[in-house]
Amino acid sequence: MTKPVPRSVVEGFYKALASADFATLDPYLHEDVVWTISGPVDVLPFCGPRHGKELVLKLLDRDIPVFLEKRRLIPSAMLIDGDRVAVFGKLMASRGDIGRRISYHIAQFVRFENEKVVEYVSLIDSFDAVEQVLGKQITAPGSIRAGDGELVAI
Amino acid sequence: MNKPVSRNVVDAFYKAYAARDADKVAPFIHDDVEWTISGPVDFLPFCGTHRGKANILDLIRHGVPRVLRTYSFVPETIVIDGDQVAMLSRQSARRTADGRAICYRVANIMRFRDDKVIENFSLIDSYDVVEQVLGQQLMVAGGAGAGNGGLVAV
Repeated sequence: MTKPVPRSVVEGFYKALASADFATLDPYLHEDVVWTISGPVDVLPFCGPRHGKELVLKLLDRDIPVFLEKRRLIPSAMLIDGDRVAVFGKLMASRGDIGRRISYHIAQFVRFENEKVVEYVSLIDSFDAVEQVLGKQITAPGSIRAGDGELVAI
Repeated sequence: MNKPVSRNVVDAFYKAYAARDADKVAPFIHDDVEWTISGPVDFLPFCGTHRGKANILDLIRHGVPRVLRTYSFVPETIVIDGDQVAMLSRQSARRTADGRAICYRVANIMRFRDDKVIENFSLIDSYDVVEQVLGQQLMVAGGAGAGNGGLVAV
């Protein structure tokens, strides 16, 4: 474990992230940051890992906004323990092209090194996120959803 | 906030929970616990909100094993802050029906009261988990993933 991160630094990072002010966010990112969003890359191309500050800033500034606009994290919990931070909450956004509002659960695990984010991993309720982003129900070939009256064979 | 939970209690709980030993997990579960696993209930019947100790222990003993049998649950990160605990773990399991291997990450956010879990929210990369449990690629009705050549219009 590296030295503990002060709560003020964590709050500053999240404030910069929320404001989409990338000049302010820049100093919070380690040059070698690894930023991973779990999820199906072929459906949600912003998922997957990004290595290095430049790619992470591009992800936040350009890649994600193509899909999701006006992103806003509504945290239900923020935990700080040494150099590690965990945030749970709901991500609210909209699809600008059709104006649909989207919200799904998200968990973020962040590790700081010298008060900079060196590792970020987020898990999202990706099934729910895909259905909302695409605006379509997901099906599996040959299966029947239990909601349709029968349990899928698993 | 309730009184802080100690790392010793969290470690002991995690050890029992990772082993999926309901008898050993029982002393760590509050009678009034609320336990939520995010994900599509019609594909993953163990998802949803479960209330009360007896229901949670039944979920561990029977509910989840009807779908998959966990043989490894390894912590990547444990964050403890006051009475709250966040865990990022890698879960390895086999489908109960045919033994097919399944592996995915799980995030848990928990709140302890008197050294017992009173609230848990589990977040999984649900799209990935459903594909692995069903053993087939999901389809979005009327749509195409970016991997199929046409970028989905979102």
